[in-house]
Amino acid sequence: MSDSIFAMKNVSSEEISLKNLSVQFGGVRAVDNFSMTLYPGELVGLIGPNGAGKTTVFNLITNYIKPTSGEIFFMGKSLLGKSPDEICRMGISRTFQNIRLFPQMTAYENVELGLHNVPHYSLLEAFVRTPRARRAEAETRKRALELLEMVNLKDFAGERASSLPYGLQRRLELARAMATSPTLLLLDEPAAGMNEDECNELVKLIRQIHEHMKYTIIMIEHHMNVVMELCKNSRIYVLNLGSLLAVGSPKEIQTNPQVIKAYLGERKHARYNSNAGSQ
Amino acid sequence: MGYLNAIIILGGINIIAALGVAIITGYTGLFTIGHAGFMALGGYACAILVTTFHVPFAIALIIGGLFAGLCSFIIGVPAFRSQLRGDYFAIATLGLSEAIRLILNTTYKVVGGAFGFMGMSNLTTVPVVVIAVILALFFAHMFVTSQYGKNCIAISQDEVAAQMMGVNLLRTKLIALFISAFYAGVAGGLMGFYMAYLSPSFFTITRSSDLLAAVVFGGIQSLIGPTITAFVLVAVPELLRVFSEWRLIVYGLLFVIIMLFRPQGLLGYVEMNFAFARRWWNAVFTPHQAKQGTIKGDQ
Amino acid sequence: MDLFLQQVVSGISIGAIYSLLAVGYALVYSVYNFTNWAFDAFMAFGAFMAFYAISSFFLPFWVAAIISILLAIGMAVSTEKLAYRSLRLRKAPRLFMMISAMGANLAIVNLLNLFFGGQFRRFPVENIGTFSMGQVSVGRMDVLAGIISFGVLGLLWVFLYRTKPGLGIRASSIDILTASLMGINNDAVAFIIFAVTGVLSSVAGIFYGIKYAVYPTMGIVTIKAMIASIVGGLGSLPAAVVGSMLLGILETLVAGYISSTYRDLFSFLFLVIILLFFPNGLMGKSSDEKL
Repeated sequence: MSDSIFAMKNVSSEEISLKNLSVQFGGVRAVDNFSMTLYPGELVGLIGPNGAGKTTVFNLITNYIKPTSGEIFFMGKSLLGKSPDEICRMGISRTFQNIRLFPQMTAYENVELGLHNVPHYSLLEAFVRTPRARRAEAETRKRALELLEMVNLKDFAGERASSLPYGLQRRLELARAMATSPTLLLLDEPAAGMNEDECNELVKLIRQIHEHMKYTIIMIEHHMNVVMELCKNSRIYVLNLGSLLAVGSPKEIQTNPQVIKAYLGERKHARYNSNAGSQ
Repeated sequence: MGYLNAIIILGGINIIAALGVAIITGYTGLFTIGHAGFMALGGYACAILVTTFHVPFAIALIIGGLFAGLCSFIIGVPAFRSQLRGDYFAIATLGLSEAIRLILNTTYKVVGGAFGFMGMSNLTTVPVVVIAVILALFFAHMFVTSQYGKNCIAISQDEVAAQMMGVNLLRTKLIALFISAFYAGVAGGLMGFYMAYLSPSFFTITRSSDLLAAVVFGGIQSLIGPTITAFVLVAVPELLRVFSEWRLIVYGLLFVIIMLFRPQGLLGYVEMNFAFARRWWNAVFTPHQAKQGTIKGDQ
Repeated sequence: MDLFLQQVVSGISIGAIYSLLAVGYALVYSVYNFTNWAFDAFMAFGAFMAFYAISSFFLPFWVAAIISILLAIGMAVSTEKLAYRSLRLRKAPRLFMMISAMGANLAIVNLLNLFFGGQFRRFPVENIGTFSMGQVSVGRMDVLAGIISFGVLGLLWVFLYRTKPGLGIRASSIDILTASLMGINNDAVAFIIFAVTGVLSSVAGIFYGIKYAVYPTMGIVTIKAMIASIVGGLGSLPAAVVGSMLLGILETLVAGYISSTYRDLFSFLFLVIILLFFPNGLMGKSSDEKL
């Protein structure tokens, strides 16, 4: 069903591909034979009921969890055996389902960290702060503020991250992820806990970032409106019990009986259809 | 006068060692109860260099510090490679300091065994200590406000997030540990040349607890807090001898009480770079200026 | 060969004491994810209580042991209540838990020192002698220490794997939040766990006191137990026992064949080497935080 999308792309330019990825915790297969290929600049959704293994896929990509079998290639290089920080420096950045900012650092410092994950000057220069080091710091500062501006958090630069309201913390996490200058962005439920207005704003923000920065994005999301809206020109992967249930455009997913059955349960079937019809 | 000198010198030495603990425990979030071991390493190395090899005192201090820093990798590398387990590191520091004391205690040939190492002249004078403390504070400040230091702070706040944001945990922690052990080593060198001898009994777990106390009381993520408390903790027991029996009991109870009611310590998160100035700057900051990139908030 | 067997037997008895302590660490670690640094104070406290029950109140050994166990339980449970509970409830960083535990340790050990004095005391039990097995002479007290230690650990195993409260504790060690949502009382779990550590520390303290001496800082030996639980794999009870036996036997062999002064140095080197090659201990698995 998504063959048409694949056919348009040049195979050799794929950004990331997961090949037959599986991971087992005890006797449970949290992810089972999952494959996925993304081309530069794509924004795809990853949905599925709770416990379907969506976050586990992100943890596998960042090698926070080691896969039992399967392979992951990012820009043609295997990610297996690389540490999470190496993977980040290769150009994959992520946000977290349960926000994980550095709570006692300011919003500005949180973003700045992503920029200097590898310090821009030597340790000796750090002790005496040479002009070169100072220039590097000024450059970092400028870039951090630009990123804060991009997510409309400029006014909160000096606030402690833990004191920011929930919605702003999510946006700050996004800015921090962007600071590591990724080419692939993994967003883990960016709209979790947001009301409809906030969701709409987030959709706008993500679209803006996506277009502006030319990121490739994989987004896990429970808010159907957000996923359907952002992925309307691309595709959505549906995970269930660790394995791929369906992949296709939002339209195809919405009408896929298997998805509706697994994702929403038999009883909600009718209600969901009426919702979808009204959209 | 001699009494005051003693307090200034011992207080200054305690400050330098406590700054070392502040860097690793206060800023990087790694619990240590073995820094007395690094003091011993630096102290003995410095003493041997000066008395046997006639190295100038200042250079011997630095080499002693570097030696302590290098030795810290013995525990740093194995403990930090197993990620997310701060406990390993704490136990390893305790193990290393006990091992060092054991070796010093039983090696009579070069280091004098349980009798201690003797024959140093009194080179640690008040001006020497004052200069050393000023330099120590300056460089500690430079480090913790640098990009290296900020990476350490991030690790202390959320190790997983820091790693996911591309911070090399092993390398960053080893740098912090090296500097921290260097400070302790220099403090040990200064101590030997004040006491005019070194004994393994100087470097027990009690001394490590004292250093930890200075950082816990003074405050997490602060240099100025531990500096004040490190000095006070030396000065007050010296003045109140009666207190000495109760000292560690009170320290212990204060550890618990501070963690329960004011875990940031006396001056936690208060930095010498005047964070309030940055906040003030942000408050009056207009978007227009931002584009020119002329923020001088923390300079 | 005789020396070897002799050392192995002796190593097993010290390994049994380490096992009690290491299991105490592992139990707390498996549920609360922090090292209970106050544990060595519990051990010294237990030993002191038994010592004074016998030497000052002339109670029989078994009565003294039971009193010591009860008092150590009280000490462990109240330490948890006063020093750990509120930190745990507000999910304080692990560093804070460790500092608080270290504080409790400092306070208890130095209180013992203040009240009872720092001198070494011989534990007031009569020497029940040795018996020989072939060429090897075995201390009866060593055998008793081994039997009781493993008896206590066996009871603990039965408790954890064959009773309902034990199931609750095992559930909490997997996911304390979910366990509490399933109706397991977190405070009750904490009470039981720390009561168990009280029992373990007291028994270990008594036998260690008999083997060596009773003094306020005797708890420093728990660093061996920490090393053993890391060598085995932190947070796992069977691994703690395996690590302890391994460490106990190896270090007694080092003491016998090389020199007893290098025994403690060896255990530290052992830790460093194990961590270099097995970053999570021999039997440990990497504990990933849930993201």
